[in-house]
Amino acid sequence: MIEVEHLSKIYGSTAAIQDVDFSVATGEILGFLGPNGAGKTTTMRILAGYIPATTGTARIAGFDVHEKSLEVRQNIGYLPENPPLYPDMTVESFLTFVASIKGVPAGDRSSKVNSAIERCQLTEKRKVLIHKLSKGYKQRVGIAQAIVHDPPVIILDEPTVGLDPKQIIEVRHLIKSLANQHTIILSTHILPEVSMTCDRVTIINRGKIIATNTPENLLSELTGNTGYKLEIEGNTDNLESLFKQINGITQVIIKPLENQSRAIIEIRTDTTHELGREIANLLIHNNLGLYEMRRTRATLEDVFLNLITTEETIPNNEQLNVDNTVETE
Amino acid sequence: MIKKIKIFISNLLAIFRKELLGYFAAPFAYVISGVFWLIAGVFFGIILDGIIQNAAFVDQGGIESTGMDVASQFLSSYLGVIISLVLVLLPALSMGLYAEERKRGTLELLATSPLTNWVVALGKLLGVLTFFTVMMVPLWIYQAIVFSASDPALPISIIFLANLAVILVAASILSLGMFISSLTESSIVAYILSFILILGLWIVDVFAQRVSGFMGDVLSYLSLFNHFNILTSGVLETKSIVLFISYIFLGIFLTAQSIEALRFQRS
Repeated sequence: MIEVEHLSKIYGSTAAIQDVDFSVATGEILGFLGPNGAGKTTTMRILAGYIPATTGTARIAGFDVHEKSLEVRQNIGYLPENPPLYPDMTVESFLTFVASIKGVPAGDRSSKVNSAIERCQLTEKRKVLIHKLSKGYKQRVGIAQAIVHDPPVIILDEPTVGLDPKQIIEVRHLIKSLANQHTIILSTHILPEVSMTCDRVTIINRGKIIATNTPENLLSELTGNTGYKLEIEGNTDNLESLFKQINGITQVIIKPLENQSRAIIEIRTDTTHELGREIANLLIHNNLGLYEMRRTRATLEDVFLNLITTEETIPNNEQLNVDNTVETE
Repeated sequence: MIKKIKIFISNLLAIFRKELLGYFAAPFAYVISGVFWLIAGVFFGIILDGIIQNAAFVDQGGIESTGMDVASQFLSSYLGVIISLVLVLLPALSMGLYAEERKRGTLELLATSPLTNWVVALGKLLGVLTFFTVMMVPLWIYQAIVFSASDPALPISIIFLANLAVILVAASILSLGMFISSLTESSIVAYILSFILILGLWIVDVFAQRVSGFMGDVLSYLSLFNHFNILTSGVLETKSIVLFISYIFLGIFLTAQSIEALRFQRS
């Protein structure tokens, strides 16, 4: 549904994006992941026909975004980084206006507007002026304007930015519910977002695509290392070398807890084999008390940081590695 | 082809309606209208009173004059004052047309919707012009009352032409003001630039009256206010209509081009 080939956008001497390639199949949700300034918004704007690319082509539903701009614009719904809203209009009149400029025939407008209002849970706000809405509701109106005309392709630029956690969850559910009937591309710099909502992830950094895969595959391919987190009691002096004897353990971090004889131990492994039994055995044989033990797995956040740190060295490498493993829930 | 025209009209109506309703929802539009009606009403009284006294003075003097056409004198001097008032008002109406869209980011919505720049510009111009016309309605009522009492009656066509002239000058200036608004994100900057443009047009008119020869002819042909005066004096010339339409078209054309250019330079 969306095909992007060798897309570049050059401003003066700096390239906002360079040789970007990806495609999105019908009904799929693609996450476009990258830090701020990576070129996400530029790519989205090119896809939406807002700005032209310097070189390369992008096609949506078979139409070139530059050559057949009007046809492309008929087939997309687009939520820019800042939701484009008219503050003096009510939610309903705004959506009706959008439906009319997107080419929804007059007879279908009210039913399409109603359905968008319902899907975005704006029913109680439909007669409210937009400037009186909270940020979360404004964002929902922004999404509603992107889907009101039922476009085959929906482009969402940072759809959850600025929302509170409850609203974020609601918006994610909304996006998920739009899949199947729509092809969606959404950009974000929030990592859990893509693993929760997207079928596939494209990671972009400094204008270049550095990986495209499913969230699961990215995890398993790029970080084989899972780990364990323990809370133990006893003498931890030789513990590191003892743990290292177990096949597969690559790293042991011991953090003594204050005022107690206990310590938190973080273990990294480079296999996907279960090592829990060996670890527990070792603790028992060394007369150490085990109070807690759980598996940890690298999240997409780590993949992301790994990818970016391997692309080029970031000065604060150490800092980034500190929280490299996060517990899975 | 028919389908294309249908889409064009439907898009035009959508933009037109949005613009027009936008003025009715905006408090500033009411303030501007209120002030405009107040000043226009005060001048109406002053000018009417002045002309009647003047006529009475001429009568009392017992001078055998060729007679005074009070009605037509009133019409041209009143609309002359109104057009000066309108010149201050018009930039305030056109300043936000695109500047606000740029500032709010809604231009991104318009630019990514299946609309051409032309239809947006035309719809906006029609919207603001309709609002301006609505502002003129009370003035028409004043005139209707006064001219219905005039004896001999002033031909209705002259009154119509004179008021049409106001609308045509307004449309020309609003169209150019819309172009200026598309150049900036600040309504205030748009207001100031539009006002400078009006001063420029006024200077053209002044030169047109002073300079003789070919240059003078060209300038007086190009002067909006010259054609305004011709129309208010009750003379309908094709060249006046052509000129007004050219100004209006120029404004729409430049707006469409400036929005298209924006697409290419955005960073």
